[in-house]
Amino acid sequence: MSEQPQQTSGLWRVVAEREVTTQLRSKTFLASGAVLVLGLVVLIVVLELLSGRTSTDTVAVVDDTAATAVEAGSTVLERTSDGDRLEVERYDDAAAAERAVRDGDVDVALLPAGGGAGYELVGDDAVDASVSGALTSSVAAVVTQANAERDGVDLQALGDGTQVSERLLDPDAANAGLRQVASFVFVLLFYLTALGFGMQIASTVTQEKESRVVEILAAAIPIRTLLWGKVIGTSILAIGQTVVLAVVGVVGLLVTGNTTTLELIGPAIAWYVLFFVIGFVALASFWSVAGSLAGRQQDLQATTLPLQVILFAPYIVTFTAGESVRTVMSMFPIVSTMLMPSRLAEGDVPLWQLGVAIATTLLAAVLLVRVAARVYEATLLQTGRKIGYGEALRTRSAD
Amino acid sequence: MLEAQSLTRVFGSTTVLDDVSLRVEPGRMTGFVGANGAGKTTTMRILMGVLAPSSGEVLWGGEPITAEVRRTFGYMPEERGLYPRMGIREQLVYFARLHGLSTGQARQRADDLLGHFDLTDRAGDVLDDLSLGNQQRVQIAAALVHRPTALVLDEPFSGLDPLAVDSMTDLLRTEASDVPLLFSSHQLDLVERLCDDLVVLSGGRVVAAGSVADLRSRGAERYRVVLDGHDAAWVRDLRGVRVESVDGPTALLTLDDLPASELVAAAVARGPVVEVARVQQPLTEIFREVTR
Repeated sequence: MSEQPQQTSGLWRVVAEREVTTQLRSKTFLASGAVLVLGLVVLIVVLELLSGRTSTDTVAVVDDTAATAVEAGSTVLERTSDGDRLEVERYDDAAAAERAVRDGDVDVALLPAGGGAGYELVGDDAVDASVSGALTSSVAAVVTQANAERDGVDLQALGDGTQVSERLLDPDAANAGLRQVASFVFVLLFYLTALGFGMQIASTVTQEKESRVVEILAAAIPIRTLLWGKVIGTSILAIGQTVVLAVVGVVGLLVTGNTTTLELIGPAIAWYVLFFVIGFVALASFWSVAGSLAGRQQDLQATTLPLQVILFAPYIVTFTAGESVRTVMSMFPIVSTMLMPSRLAEGDVPLWQLGVAIATTLLAAVLLVRVAARVYEATLLQTGRKIGYGEALRTRSAD
Repeated sequence: MLEAQSLTRVFGSTTVLDDVSLRVEPGRMTGFVGANGAGKTTTMRILMGVLAPSSGEVLWGGEPITAEVRRTFGYMPEERGLYPRMGIREQLVYFARLHGLSTGQARQRADDLLGHFDLTDRAGDVLDDLSLGNQQRVQIAAALVHRPTALVLDEPFSGLDPLAVDSMTDLLRTEASDVPLLFSSHQLDLVERLCDDLVVLSGGRVVAAGSVADLRSRGAERYRVVLDGHDAAWVRDLRGVRVESVDGPTALLTLDDLPASELVAAAVARGPVVEVARVQQPLTEIFREVTR
């Protein structure tokens, strides 16, 4: 006779442990994870190259007026071109300055034009438009100033009322591009992770039906325990991968010195991880049902279709829907998992909306898990054929 | 003792099991035979609780069985099934742990069972890389790994060569010497050799049940008479006897009214006798008879 106690309460851990170790040893799993991490790193590097980098152009000059103009131009440029700067490089004569331009030692030369008619900008094959604009206005200002002093004109009085200043109604919008990229990344990451791990749950369930091992499992442990073990095991993997990606993202932004970006989307990353956890668990049980309805791996495309739609819908909404539709959709259960972090990345979201999104998703999770457990129990032992959702919901457990 | 009481199972409009009752005594191997579709697998699934009966119940020690008790059983389903791409030792450890063994106990049991089947050096291989016979051994090991309190084995010997059958029955005798063991089989000669008790199912009903010895000697008493060199045709003149055949000195007959002792006396009175022997009915014949 058997002497060991028959406690089934902790057995989901044994199931979950197997799910985790089996996947961690799978080359496909490790490879797909590596691809995601690599993609994120590449994205951060590209982002850095595109947005964060400021450049300093060197300008060759031969006289003091040009040197003053370049310094003034640098101030203008810094304001208009996101921190780009100009640097003065003195040369003895125009010929030497032109040679420096040709050799690429300097970017442009600001030289007195022939015949005393002001200045000319000398570039090799092109002159940067913003540099040209900044220098044109600064030369004009410096020379006008000099002329005014020479002729005794009160420049201050002359310029009265001509200043134009800036005031921004939406200062955040300055980072709209960056925020949009971040928002896109959140949606894409959730889509890929949820789809990948969801399909994995479904296919391991189908595999257990296909290989008939499920009958032994069903005799050994309650089917609900099996479901929970699977859901928890795969969720641990999915959440683990999400945390790894979040850490890679944060570290990547820190390493590239992109702390402004981190300040902007850091809170969104934290929210993303939270939403991911509840959103994924809610869907995980649904994925296992999709697996239990399929008789063979080939049936999975059909039985997982509703889930693919659920995941793809917010993807479409993010890119096509208007502001108000997105706001409402972002409070829908599960869909919020993708839309909320993406909205958070784009700007502030009222706290109550976050609360509603979390509450509805938690509620959906509880309901889905209940229905899923029932359907899973009812369909798991019907091997060898595909079962429809309608039929599954009508079937009673162990019938 | 494991008992089924009036199990009935209906699938749609088909009655697959009709009032099936059987008992499996501890320490006795009980064979479960019947034609394809007779309802053996359905009965075993109901015994294991993976399928619910339409009516009737399963008893354990006279009480309605609980899920907790069932989980201590060992089960080998008709549809063989383990994880195809998982190492065999790892699987056995997994199933043992699912049955509540600690990791240490589970590893010990897995190693012992693999050792018994000479599979120790294949322990790390995945199931798919094993021959079918070896896969079958791992399957039975999975049913035994948690020291089950009862065994329900659906066709455990199908596909095994005679040596493998012997090795498996040895193991079953040691591992399950004091627990109820029910196994189904198509190989009647094997059932005859191994089983203590027998349940015959036909068309969803139990048509015969009891110890193999009782079943074989039940019904009409058949005797073979072999005389030494003289013709046996005289048996046709005996009263209370049905003669099946006479072939020179040999006759096969059934005693209806005549006591066996009088048959012996009559034979001896006619001359030298080689034998007067009771003919035991082979299982195949019982099977044909009861399932007809």
